[in-house]
Amino acid sequence: MPEPRPYYLNLIQIRLPIGGWVSIFHRVSGAALSLAVPLVLYVWMLSLRSPEDYAAVTGFLSGWFGFLVLLGVVWATLHHLLAGLRHLGFDIGWGEGRERARLTAWGVLFAALGLTGLFGLGCLL
Amino acid sequence: MRTVGGARRGLTIWLVQRAGAVVMAAYLPLFALYAWLAGSADYAGWRGLFEPLAAKVTTLLFFAALLSHAWIGMREIVIDYVHCPRCLGLRLALHFSFAVLYLACLVWTADILWTLA
Repeated sequence: MPEPRPYYLNLIQIRLPIGGWVSIFHRVSGAALSLAVPLVLYVWMLSLRSPEDYAAVTGFLSGWFGFLVLLGVVWATLHHLLAGLRHLGFDIGWGEGRERARLTAWGVLFAALGLTGLFGLGCLL
Repeated sequence: MRTVGGARRGLTIWLVQRAGAVVMAAYLPLFALYAWLAGSADYAGWRGLFEPLAAKVTTLLFFAALLSHAWIGMREIVIDYVHCPRCLGLRLALHFSFAVLYLACLVWTADILWTLA
């Protein structure tokens, strides 16, 4: 008996290939960063305005909530950057074969998470 | 009657987004290296990173690349998800709103950089 084919796109049942996951995270991180631009500019402005505001910003970023936000921004930036470089490769015809595309997809996923982890450790030490 | 939908400008926009991507991919590691070599993490050191004219100009160019890249990316998302029988007006309104927001952000960036000493 062949398995019944899905008749609709059930997001819980669909199994994305790894390239699909990297792609959706690329979109989600890009959208989040795009919407966060005014907030990032505001925090950047404060950090440059006066020593007191700089201390307030670093104080916020060392708290648990601010630190999580910072890690989120760093992860989104790294994932979007690395997945974007992978896409630039596709644009010039590099890495489009299935094997290499899967390999680079895993690479992007783990490199972004790993570098975010290293960044977090660097901040804590 | 002219139509404003469709994909006439797709290739140009695609190319602008790639150009912005390359600018950012060059700026981010270079700036991280520059900041790391400068080495001081206090307020004066942080502010000092952005005071040289070359840093201001390249940082403003980075934000111009980022904002155009974000504007094109939000356009893709709006085109993909905002669908209804008469949604072209809504898509155009969103696209225009992001243009206004990001142009304002670019001017704001210039102000942040050039009000430093």
